[in-house]
Amino acid sequence: MTTGPDDIPQDDSLLAAEYVLRLLDPAEDAAFRARLAQEPALAAEVTAWTARLSGLDAGVAEVAPRPAVKTGLERRLFGQPQRLSFWQRAGLWQAVSLASVAVAAFFALQSLQPPQPIAPAPLFVSEIAAEDQSLRLLAVYDGAAGEVRLTRTAGGAAEGRVLQLWAIAPEAAPVSLGVLPQDSTTAVTLPEALRAGLADLVLAVSDEPPGGSPTGAPTGAVLAVGAVSPL
Amino acid sequence: MATTEEIEDLIARSALGDRAAFSRLYDRTSAKLFGIILRVLKDRASAEDALQDAFMKVWRHASRYSANGASPMTWMITIARNTAIDHLRRRKETVDADDAADRLVSSTPTPEQSAVAAGEARRITACLDELEQDRGAAVRGAYLEGRSYADLAESFGVPLNTMRTWLRRSLQRLQECMAR
Repeated sequence: MTTGPDDIPQDDSLLAAEYVLRLLDPAEDAAFRARLAQEPALAAEVTAWTARLSGLDAGVAEVAPRPAVKTGLERRLFGQPQRLSFWQRAGLWQAVSLASVAVAAFFALQSLQPPQPIAPAPLFVSEIAAEDQSLRLLAVYDGAAGEVRLTRTAGGAAEGRVLQLWAIAPEAAPVSLGVLPQDSTTAVTLPEALRAGLADLVLAVSDEPPGGSPTGAPTGAVLAVGAVSPL
Repeated sequence: MATTEEIEDLIARSALGDRAAFSRLYDRTSAKLFGIILRVLKDRASAEDALQDAFMKVWRHASRYSANGASPMTWMITIARNTAIDHLRRRKETVDADDAADRLVSSTPTPEQSAVAAGEARRITACLDELEQDRGAAVRGAYLEGRSYADLAESFGVPLNTMRTWLRRSLQRLQECMAR
């Protein structure tokens, strides 16, 4: 014999209501839950009471939680504030996971500076990469020193050419940060004027004649680009 | 206010581990859920804690949503309410903390049953108003504030068993009224 919702004894329906309202004492609650797993008709009663009572939700006013609650939630769930959306959007990220960049950033800093207490200065990173990954640089901005430290992890300048680094603020002309040396690591000072808007900067590397662009603007092909993001 | 389809879509994406979708889901629903939790917990700091717990359950149990017969908002509100009540009772006594999501049954009502339930939901306020004033208030207190029989008995100044009889009778009349 099948048991449809209509065959439910009245008592079970009320028990389901008490269950939904959290009115059962712990022993009753446990007994009810044990039955629930076995009896679909009882589960349907719970669903029905949940829906019936949900009409009361409409009368509850919305209250916006403080923004810090969301940050805290994401830290609890994911271990860090959610800052990944840029990278996901940029689509530059397939080759390097955030974890490996964090590790690389850590080592880039380690290799460039003597051990010292890490200042709580803002840390920003950028992966400046060619679409085909033929040229790739990792940039870490050290707020305490006002420097961008660079590590080239793939590619280099063509024969008889140099690589020049540019910082581009929104709706502004590129500002040269200098010609990159042959070494795979280097550090350049970020002009004071660009530091405030750091998080909105895009870094780019162009192909230039020896000595760098003669005009003050990129003259050769832009080989690699990357936006700056807080670490 | 987000649509049902939008919330459903965001829950489905969250189930696949899409953090951006989960972030949007939070933005669309957290004010409602926080309001629900505040009704139970009153205190803002505990409510914030419970809100985080509730969303952690939403994230972890998002894949169970589709199997559940409830509307997406009702599903999330049920998690929020139960989490808040767990916090409330953990604070008061030492009751085992239930996993609120475990309390959600995965029955799949027919569309017909769902439509009936949705129609009933709109009727609850009118039906509660048909009850004597304090009986309606007791049902509201249980649902909106997570109050127990003992708690209700105390504030209405009646013995616990009387309160239980009252409330069960009220629920029965409520059900009859909503089925009319």
